[in-house]
Amino acid sequence: MLRNRMFFVMSLLVLASMILAACGATPVATEPPAVEPPPATTAPEVIPTEAPVTATSYTTPHPILGDLRVRQALSYCTNKADLIKSVYPLLNEETQQSLVMNTFIPTSHWAYAGDENVTIYEFDAAKGAALLDEAGWTLAEGADFRTNAAGDELALKFTTTSAAFRQTWAAIWEAQMADCGVRVVRLHAPASWWFGDTTGIARRDYELGAFAWVGQADPGGQSLYACDQIPLPENGWVGQNAMGWCNELASTNIKLANNTLIKDERIAAYTIVQQEFTKDVPSIPLFNRTETFATAADLSGFAPMPGQEYYNYNVQDWEKAGSDTVILGFTQEPASLFTLVEDAFVANIAYQIIRPAQETHLNYDFKATLVKDLPTLENGGTVNNDVEVSEGTKVVDADGNVVDLAPGVFVMNSAGERVEFTGGTVTMKQMVSKFELIDGLTWEDGTPVSSADLELNKKISCDPESGATTFTVCDWTANTEFLTDAVGYVQTWIPGNQQPIYFTPVWGLYPAHQVIGDGRTLADVPAAEWATLPEVAEKPLAYGPYKLVEWVKGEKMVFTANEYWVGTPAKSPNLVIQIITAESAEALLLGGEIDILDSTSLAGLSQTLADAEVAGTIKTFVEAGGTWEHIDIQLFTR
Amino acid sequence: MTAYLIRRVLQSILVVFISAVASYVLLSFAPGGPLSGLRQIQQQGRFKITEEDIARIRASFELDLNLPVRFSRWLIGVPRGPLTIGGKEYFGDVVVGCRKPIEAEITNSRGVQEIIVVGCKEEVLLKDIVGRRTSRGILFGDFGLSWRLLRDRPVSDLIESRIPKTLQLIGLETLLSLIIGIPLGIYSAVKQYSRFDYVFTTLAFMGSAMPSFFFGLLFILIFSILPKGAGLPYIPAGLSESVRNYTIPWIGDVIAGSAKDRTLHLMLPVAVLTILNIAGWSRFIRASMLDVLRQDYVRTARAKGLSQNVVIMKHALRNALIPFITIVVFTIPGLFGGAIITESIFAWPGMGRLYILALGDYDYPVAMALFFILSVLTVIATLLRDILYTIADPRIRLH
Repeated sequence: MLRNRMFFVMSLLVLASMILAACGATPVATEPPAVEPPPATTAPEVIPTEAPVTATSYTTPHPILGDLRVRQALSYCTNKADLIKSVYPLLNEETQQSLVMNTFIPTSHWAYAGDENVTIYEFDAAKGAALLDEAGWTLAEGADFRTNAAGDELALKFTTTSAAFRQTWAAIWEAQMADCGVRVVRLHAPASWWFGDTTGIARRDYELGAFAWVGQADPGGQSLYACDQIPLPENGWVGQNAMGWCNELASTNIKLANNTLIKDERIAAYTIVQQEFTKDVPSIPLFNRTETFATAADLSGFAPMPGQEYYNYNVQDWEKAGSDTVILGFTQEPASLFTLVEDAFVANIAYQIIRPAQETHLNYDFKATLVKDLPTLENGGTVNNDVEVSEGTKVVDADGNVVDLAPGVFVMNSAGERVEFTGGTVTMKQMVSKFELIDGLTWEDGTPVSSADLELNKKISCDPESGATTFTVCDWTANTEFLTDAVGYVQTWIPGNQQPIYFTPVWGLYPAHQVIGDGRTLADVPAAEWATLPEVAEKPLAYGPYKLVEWVKGEKMVFTANEYWVGTPAKSPNLVIQIITAESAEALLLGGEIDILDSTSLAGLSQTLADAEVAGTIKTFVEAGGTWEHIDIQLFTR
Repeated sequence: MTAYLIRRVLQSILVVFISAVASYVLLSFAPGGPLSGLRQIQQQGRFKITEEDIARIRASFELDLNLPVRFSRWLIGVPRGPLTIGGKEYFGDVVVGCRKPIEAEITNSRGVQEIIVVGCKEEVLLKDIVGRRTSRGILFGDFGLSWRLLRDRPVSDLIESRIPKTLQLIGLETLLSLIIGIPLGIYSAVKQYSRFDYVFTTLAFMGSAMPSFFFGLLFILIFSILPKGAGLPYIPAGLSESVRNYTIPWIGDVIAGSAKDRTLHLMLPVAVLTILNIAGWSRFIRASMLDVLRQDYVRTARAKGLSQNVVIMKHALRNALIPFITIVVFTIPGLFGGAIITESIFAWPGMGRLYILALGDYDYPVAMALFFILSVLTVIATLLRDILYTIADPRIRLH
């Protein structure tokens, strides 16, 4: 009887939940995942005087952190080497030192200002203490923490995530601050709150806050340090300059760095921003996180680099002594090799083996691989024309949105000024770039790569039915003229598009000639079907150093050398991506079942790996990764 | 018996349905999903997400449809559009979802700001979903398309690729556990308080207490890494087979993918699972056997002068095994479900890993297919258990 009643009640509950769901709209994620804000790279600071925009809130300088001397003192009291040592104890001192960040740009980056051009706060607790004394925060005899004349203790709330990594270095930093007489009250919040849409950083809910940014080959994201990027209630909390840093000189140069297309001018502008940044200390850059790789001791050719896009850029050089096969361990299996719908890093790594990119990044710089040259303004490959545009023309407006030009729309004119379109015509910049692929590229079936393959890529990439996430590039394209006398195209962007990475190739290659299982050629298959096609998702035709011959789901992807590859022939006849688990990764490497573990599988250098390297069983590679830790400083209070 | 079976089958169908509803609703309201992260995507460079992009992505995952509509399409593959009778369409204008919801930021009762849906800018009508891809329904064996793990390709492909490995691992382990565990439990009970019983009991407790990941790592170290380093015979540390040929001292050359290779790779995970099962099952048999051995009818059998073997095998064992039926029968869903931790430790490409990956990657069609299959198997196992009870013990009657 009781069982029947319970059953009845459960049925009612289920029914009720369905009715409730039917009444409402589809559910929406109210909490973002525990990930950090993506790329960008910066940290801002506002000199505690002028408030940005016409803000009515956050105009009161922070009573403690609004004082530049305090911020500088915190920097001097921070021993970055010890913080690094706490989280990467197994690295040698040289490697540890290479991880130190001085500004918001890694020291090996082309846009780094250089040590001589920025203020470097080498650890100096005495200097920090002196600055605090000067700011009125003194340490009484026998006291642990400083107080001001009013007797208020120098205590600051420090918020970050609860990740073990951050708990480790944050504890050390707390102790370093205590040594300088500063009480730091740590709050390790859930990432969902700290990075939430309406909480944590997004609402400037911190005094000192730590998280990481991801450095990129082009530091375009530094615009977050601009004065107009400060999130405020008045602007709907838009912007990532949560510190509230507004330095007019820095702000102007950030914009300049992002708007000019001449590399030397950009470097000069970034230098000024970094100078101001280190002078005002709106944030304390700490250190790069590492990327760790491990290989069998007898594997050669593996050479990851800092600031690289893909560590397998030279996969054809990998070779294992005494074996015809190199085995790469993946703890995550690619979902598909149709990269329009699958952009996971592992999928891109696998894709690069069969279809290398036309350009890659090494040491935070761009490198042509399958195009003859990157068409820059400097080498004449790109021209930036002045064009007259009138109402109805599709342009990129001053805020970066694609719009039809109409009265009231703000655009950047050819002089680089933000102007309101009021009718008639306005002169804007329009870039035209010519991309030409290297000679001899051939598909694995022996068919030469052609401009038709580029054209098919454009067609599918710009088809809303393809499943692609975004169509920004398509929206920005005014016209693409595919070459007939060579493999390449002339890309004309719509007026106003002045993206600094204009010189990177736009369209990839899809084999237009390929006949698929049902007899159609790939060029005739509607975009909506592409994601489900085995010829696209599971066994795409290769033009790279290897071709994919077998994919056993959940187990392995087997590649063999592509005899039609135009570059240096692959040294290892076979390459296998073995799907493993994080729990088994090190054991499989040590057991000889795999030859390479990449940074997606290794959280860092473990004692086991370090010992194995000493024993000569394996080799490890630790590089400064693009991700870097920093402590942001809240400059204003609400 | 027939009436009982019919009643139980009907009840089972209801249970499966409720379980399907519950798992679908729970997963639908779970945080994360394919849209998570879109809000955080950097809105700069060549990658900008527009409202239209989000609407399109929501539609491709059917997240723009109301939950009951989605559930119905998942379960039985309908509705696919307006009802058509005699060439005329009905209910085409019925609202079945929202393409572009209106969101608002509120402060909830805990003082935390959150985003909620307060309206709809653009509704989805029944006639709008004509031509959208959908499965024929999970009830008809079509599990739909994977969201993440096998992006846009059939979930059944994923499951089919994992089942053989899991059946191999769990089947062998279950068989060995039964063959070894039952005799051990019986012997330990019959020889209660003997030296063997003490040793066995101690080991069984240790086996039950040690987590599988500990055993797994220990075995890898002892039977793989250390002996290999010392030039001694070793067992491969993981995977279901090797990629390239190898040589093991004393054993000789092993061809990758050969029966010898696959057997060697099975040894460690099977050993770990078997030890854990033996520890638990043999203790269970021992306790059950001890209960039976104290029964009057066993004493009577002995008093009649029957031999010890006859008493144990004929009178005691059959009764002692009755409770054990429950354990054995519920290995059926286990055969399908795999062993999550052990498979992870040994990189075994089975169902357990698939289950974890599906949940971790928000691949809800895969996760729900696994939930559904497991619930069906559990219901079948329950039914089977009840029937087996009546066979094993005629005193039990079905009502």
